Amino acid sequence: MANISQPSQGAWTRMLPNSAAAFHRISALLTLAILVIAFSFASPAFLSVNNTLTILLQTSVIGLLGIGMTMVIITGGIDLSVGSVLALSGTVTGMMVKAGVPVVPAMMLGVCMGAACGLFNGFVVTKMKITPFVATLGMMLIARGAALQLTGAAPISQLGEAFGVLGNGALFRVVEMGDNGFPRVIFPGIPYPAILLVVVAIVASYMLRRRAIGRHIYATGSNEEAARLSGVLVDRTKLIAYTLSGALAGVAGNVLMSRLITAQPSEGVMYELDAIAAAVIGGASLMGGVGGISGTMIGAFIIGVLRNGLNMGGVSSFIQQIVIGFVVIGAVYIDQLRNRR
Amino acid sequence: MSQTLQAAARFDAETTPLVEMRGIEKHFGGVVAVDGVSLDLRPGEVVGVLGHNGAGKSCLMRILSGAMAPSRGEIRIAGDVVEMGSPQDARAHGVETIYQTLALADHLDAPSNLFLGRELKTRFGNLDDKRMLAEARKVLATLNPNFTNLKDPVSSLSGGQRQVIAIARAIYFDVKILIMDEPTAALGPSETAMVADLIRKLRAQGIGIFLVSHDMHDVFDLCDRVVVMNKGKLVGAHDIDEVHKDDILSLIIKGELPTDWRPRNLGELEAAR
Repeated sequence: MANISQPSQGAWTRMLPNSAAAFHRISALLTLAILVIAFSFASPAFLSVNNTLTILLQTSVIGLLGIGMTMVIITGGIDLSVGSVLALSGTVTGMMVKAGVPVVPAMMLGVCMGAACGLFNGFVVTKMKITPFVATLGMMLIARGAALQLTGAAPISQLGEAFGVLGNGALFRVVEMGDNGFPRVIFPGIPYPAILLVVVAIVASYMLRRRAIGRHIYATGSNEEAARLSGVLVDRTKLIAYTLSGALAGVAGNVLMSRLITAQPSEGVMYELDAIAAAVIGGASLMGGVGGISGTMIGAFIIGVLRNGLNMGGVSSFIQQIVIGFVVIGAVYIDQLRNRR
Repeated sequence: MSQTLQAAARFDAETTPLVEMRGIEKHFGGVVAVDGVSLDLRPGEVVGVLGHNGAGKSCLMRILSGAMAPSRGEIRIAGDVVEMGSPQDARAHGVETIYQTLALADHLDAPSNLFLGRELKTRFGNLDDKRMLAEARKVLATLNPNFTNLKDPVSSLSGGQRQVIAIARAIYFDVKILIMDEPTAALGPSETAMVADLIRKLRAQGIGIFLVSHDMHDVFDLCDRVVVMNKGKLVGAHDIDEVHKDDILSLIIKGELPTDWRPRNLGELEAAR
């Protein structure tokens, strides 16, 4: 019986593309395409310029978190703190602005706050030898608590127009004055958050593929002991990954708070799970050594398109949760299929 | 007993040994894994390191390769006392190691593994994958002409191919002292012969080799000298032509030579005198 079934299994696996990662990326991309097609049939407004830009905007925060998450996951770790760090960073920026610091340096300080949280995560993981899950769970509580304590759990509003530019501004925005005196938007422009996401994704991808640190991130997650014996500075590699994840959470926090023009210490709850989902849908393995920025971007957009499309279809956010949950399981199932061969 | 530990008469006493380990100890809590071992390695010498599992031979080799710090003792390389604080230190002194576990990153391809930790870079600091691929192809072809799948993750390769990558990684760089931990355990007959040829070739180039092995045939075929460890101590060090396999087995199992032991080449030694 086994003799009969085995050749057919071999034939099936031989049809798969050579690189397992490429296979996963193709299947994720296909899923994304099917979603887009299905939603545009369901609602004609789905494919409009405005809605496309809205999806870009909505996905940018998860995308930024997902990029940092991907690097950490490739090292074989996980970062549960990004949602809280996002809130703390945005809050710090908001408080700075409120205290009279100009917006740009205030945002830089906010990002530095995120990077510092990430560095602390890396320190706890590498020097105190605490598992990433527990270390970043601790930071998740610490950062959220700090954000709430600093603000007395109250949102900081009236931060001024300049604070809102990053989240609400757009490049190539074309506005025409209508005859009735109201402005008419001809082209809403490419939102700054989307541009930021693309730039960060390209830089991160370059780092992972073309620089030694990227190779070391993969090697560390693939076989930490082998990497160490090969002369890779494993601890330093992990520190960099966690610090970048924290810094990107800081960037995402600033984007989000800027969009709301309010520093909200309770924002970003459970965002880490969306970021993990994006990475996993995109083919990253929680065992380490596998993953990529392009995959995570596809994963982030699958989540973004699903949310947006289901919203337009009037599906409740609870049902959306259920759907996304099944997508995550389905993605990991595909991942296992390819690993079985 | 003590005079047998100073064997190696075949090598000129004048040459500075490549490696001199003196009084190496390694403690894990109350457990003594390596207990005051002193051992030399000369240029162009192949020394077999034998012993039970847990006799301390792997531990001793890990200390020399920088993977583990000794609790006490000193290591000299070419006459100079060195600190082997990390694998990078050891490599900087020309010590390369082929680990029994091979120490490969499974998700990376052969060139990435070969150059892991010392990647070739372009002028702008980018990874020079083209050059790494070309170099890997060259060095792997010398070890195994059939090695063509250089872009596959090494997890998809056969045990023999993986072993070849681990060997290539050790000899590609400027190796002076090579530690081979069970290098033929995963190999078929033709690949084993290839490794044996390689060891002879490296020896002819003046490279010193520690060969950790369970395979008596390999040891007697390739080694100039054999040392035996038992319970953390060095219990014997002999030129290969003064012992029989049974003598070695006795050292491994009981920690001492048979009571009626006479050097195998006693006749030659007396004739020389």
